[in-house]
Amino acid sequence: AVLKKRLVKLVVNFLFYFRTDEAEPIGALLLEHCKITKEEENVFSISFIEEPERKYCFECATEEQCQEWVEALRRASYEFLRRSLIFYRNEIQKMTGKDPLEQYGISEEARFQLGAHRQ
Amino acid sequence: MKLNERSLAFYATCDSPADKSGFLYKRGERHTAYHRRWFVLKGNMLFYFEERDSREPVGVIVLEGCNVELCDSAESFAFAIRFGGSKSRTYVLAADSQAAMESWVKSLSRASFDYMRLVVRELEKQLQEMSRGLPGGCGGSQDAPGPWKPMPPGLEQCRERLPALPAVPPKENGCAVWNNVPGPERPPDTSGCGGHDEEGAPRPPPPLPPRRRVSNGGTASAGPAVAPSPSTFCRLHEQYSREVARLRQDWQQKRRGSQP
Repeated sequence: AVLKKRLVKLVVNFLFYFRTDEAEPIGALLLEHCKITKEEENVFSISFIEEPERKYCFECATEEQCQEWVEALRRASYEFLRRSLIFYRNEIQKMTGKDPLEQYGISEEARFQLGAHRQ
Repeated sequence: MKLNERSLAFYATCDSPADKSGFLYKRGERHTAYHRRWFVLKGNMLFYFEERDSREPVGVIVLEGCNVELCDSAESFAFAIRFGGSKSRTYVLAADSQAAMESWVKSLSRASFDYMRLVVRELEKQLQEMSRGLPGGCGGSQDAPGPWKPMPPGLEQCRERLPALPAVPPKENGCAVWNNVPGPERPPDTSGCGGHDEEGAPRPPPPLPPRRRVSNGGTASAGPAVAPSPSTFCRLHEQYSREVARLRQDWQQKRRGSQP
């Protein structure tokens, strides 16, 4: 496989990639239900749950950069954010006895319920 | 622009529960006819299918950087998803009832990743502030400034838990003692453990810690039933400071010992 140099941008739960001299992205990867794997030195890969053998490989300039990307990408999904929200809400509720989401008027939303079965 | 469409379609149709779903009328791009579609909201993605049981979505609207608002239309219960930028399309949708329209507008305007991230950051901040503030002290030493605090966190906790002693002037907090290498034992006197006299001019005490309100609901800081006297506190204080000084000495000796 040939390595092509790309500019890569993580925006919300999308990973955009550009040719280095172009303003419009060539493509994007939706980062939900995906697995970020640290491969050999400087390299990580993204694979998706419905097609695990297909790996999108990225080679970084340094190992440090590689680790940064892996960490950032693992936290990039909407589902991760949702889980964090539920976790913090639960912690605050345990400590104060109050639901911190009430002030935002979103405490009743199904998507934030504790113990909601989520993948 | 290429998109990992297969993953997108998977996300749309997999078992994970949708945040909202239902039939909506969608106005066509070029022709103003409305088409009935099955809409599924998951995260910040609004998928739409031709039929409820279609295996693949016809399209998706990514709900970032958009405004969801009511709009004027011949169609009743209509609302629009508007994106900035001249090239961006405005999606006009219509519901079956006022209630359905309001529900969709509410859900869609809060669906963005940005919105979620804002809420999470707020909660994170609240939690951090609470951890630092609680006398439980679990998070208390996280941002300890400087190399080594002469006062153990347990003592901090002890001090915060004491209810206000009546009419105790600030210097009774036993301020200066723990800044010194423990010298001769200071017997508790009636005015408490002031950290002055022998050395001459009294040093200004540190400011009193802000009084914390004990919160309800069984958090750690329920006050003790009996208020300990100043002398008890001073004794504890002395005990701790001696122990700490001893440990420190040991540690320093070990360090010297291990140097080549």
